[in-house]
Amino acid sequence: MTMEIKQLDMIEKQEIGLKRNISQIGNTITFELKRFLKNFLLILSIFLAVFIVSLIVQELQYMQDVPLPEDPLDYINSYISGGAGMFGMFGFLIILSTAGFAGSIIAEDFHKQTGNLIFPKIGKTRLLIGRIISRYGLNAICICFYFIMVGSVTLIKYGEIPIVLWGSMLWALLYTFMLFTFVTLMSSIMKSTAISIIISILFLLIVFNMISMILRFAGLEGEPFYILTYYEGIIANSMAMPDLRYTEIRMPTGMGGGGGGGGEFVTFIFWTTPSEFVALIGMLIFISVFLCLTYFLYKRRQSKSE
Amino acid sequence: MNEKNQDIVIQVKNITKKFGKFYAVNDVSLDIKRGEIVGFLGPNGAGKTTTMKMIANLLIPNEGEIWIRANGEIQKLSRKNKDFLLDNIGFLIEIPAFYGKVTPKEILKYFAKLKGYPRHKLDERIDTILKMVGMSEWKDKKIGTFSKGMRQKIGILSAIVHDPDIVVLDEPQTGLDPGARKEVRDFIMNLKKMGKTVFLSSHLLYEISEVADRIAIIHLGKIIAFDTLDNLEGRAMKSVIHFELLNPPEDNLDDFIKKLKQLVVPLTGITEEESWIKYDYDSKVTQVFFNGNPKSQTQILKKLLDNGYEILEYSVPKAGLLESLFIELTKTNDLGGVKK
Repeated sequence: MTMEIKQLDMIEKQEIGLKRNISQIGNTITFELKRFLKNFLLILSIFLAVFIVSLIVQELQYMQDVPLPEDPLDYINSYISGGAGMFGMFGFLIILSTAGFAGSIIAEDFHKQTGNLIFPKIGKTRLLIGRIISRYGLNAICICFYFIMVGSVTLIKYGEIPIVLWGSMLWALLYTFMLFTFVTLMSSIMKSTAISIIISILFLLIVFNMISMILRFAGLEGEPFYILTYYEGIIANSMAMPDLRYTEIRMPTGMGGGGGGGGEFVTFIFWTTPSEFVALIGMLIFISVFLCLTYFLYKRRQSKSE
Repeated sequence: MNEKNQDIVIQVKNITKKFGKFYAVNDVSLDIKRGEIVGFLGPNGAGKTTTMKMIANLLIPNEGEIWIRANGEIQKLSRKNKDFLLDNIGFLIEIPAFYGKVTPKEILKYFAKLKGYPRHKLDERIDTILKMVGMSEWKDKKIGTFSKGMRQKIGILSAIVHDPDIVVLDEPQTGLDPGARKEVRDFIMNLKKMGKTVFLSSHLLYEISEVADRIAIIHLGKIIAFDTLDNLEGRAMKSVIHFELLNPPEDNLDDFIKKLKQLVVPLTGITEEESWIKYDYDSKVTQVFFNGNPKSQTQILKKLLDNGYEILEYSVPKAGLLESLFIELTKTNDLGGVKK
């Protein structure tokens, strides 16, 4: 090592206290934004790619004489809730981006042992707040970007952007934050970033939907408030809330007629969307529970060697 | 605290840390004075890291207290004042792992800002410390591409970037090659010259013995010795002389050892049963176990010269002293056991 020994001047450091705590959160936000810039650009480009593919699919349909929907909301819906061959793609994008941004939020420091370096320079609470703000911020930009693209193309096609589109965007942001807190909770439990991302995606894409289906077929008719992905319905439906928030499906029981016309039928209820009030309360409850659990587990969690 | 203790900057009083029924640290007491280097020596799993983590408030002791001086006043470390007391300490706990996609400049800047270092002096500070370790030209390169030694240097810099008065380094030389170890050793010595207090742990006897003013030896969670190297040497009264001959023995090693024993053993102050002489073919160094007394050391040298041995080098490495002491102490404390 090239040695240069010099007694450094007395340095006036920022004093400990609220101001330092706030500036630590601010510094963490800046650091994380820089660190996640490449991931952010990658995820943003995925959003852009999905939007472009949706647009091309729609345009191909119109070229084959399928008329443009009269109501711009129907057109917007095809980008948000599916249609145009892109069924559920936006919901999948939300899950994917959220897992990408939040999966490493806690697990990384314990898996890679980077926590040895970062603690005790900053407390866990301030680090977590800074990371949630920065990473959710990037996640939110991706969501907003998608809505702006949808709004822009709607403006070109119809000469207006329905104001409800922005309401839908706010629901999407709240829904994304709920999923974000869920993935953060997974990150506080799981051993590594990869595991927390995989488990989160598995739960959000498959496990919750399976639970919902099983309960439906078991005859449970109540609204599935307890299923996280149920709240996705509010994003599209908030623009035009249907009179009936569920659909009934009648299926033959297989008794009394061997599948003929005179057999018995059973009716299953499939809920498509929560009401706005239920969605708001439900998501806020989930967010609070997930954040509290995450905080508790994170505070208790020690690195491998401790 | 009386006047005599005004120099103490960290005082550990009877701390104990249990994991289930296992005592990782058992009734450990230490005091670290301003401007000194205290070596914390012990085998892997002895409780060094756990003790350091308790000082860093990353682990809470089950029993005992930790006192730290800040702004001239020594205070008991607690949840309420930990930010204030730990602000003037730089920590490097265990092997540092980095976020691979960041550069030394970015990470050091972030850490300095977290510790309230003035923003307008940040760039200058980072340039200065990177220059100290000869890594100026690496400041904008991704850490993911660095060697282990380079990462270790950045790890040490991360502990001192905010210019703390006290630096706590946990095994900073572990896993480094001899060249990099020497660089780190020199760097630690220079921290002392800059007026810093250093608390340094290692399981490498030589690294500790070369830099430390005082040495605490921990074994099975208990401090078994804490003193200056000279005093510890006095306690052990046993050590090893290393010497190299101009004409090293080649084929007639047994005769060489036999003759040497006859000449030297009566002067070692050690019983014939306990005494030993070894010759290492690779280094060509002969080792003689003796009582550590400088008088015996001189007499043995005189005897060798009088009998025609041409000696190139003759020394008692500090690590040798420490090694024999360490073995001696851990042997006698093995029965102490893990349970309190």
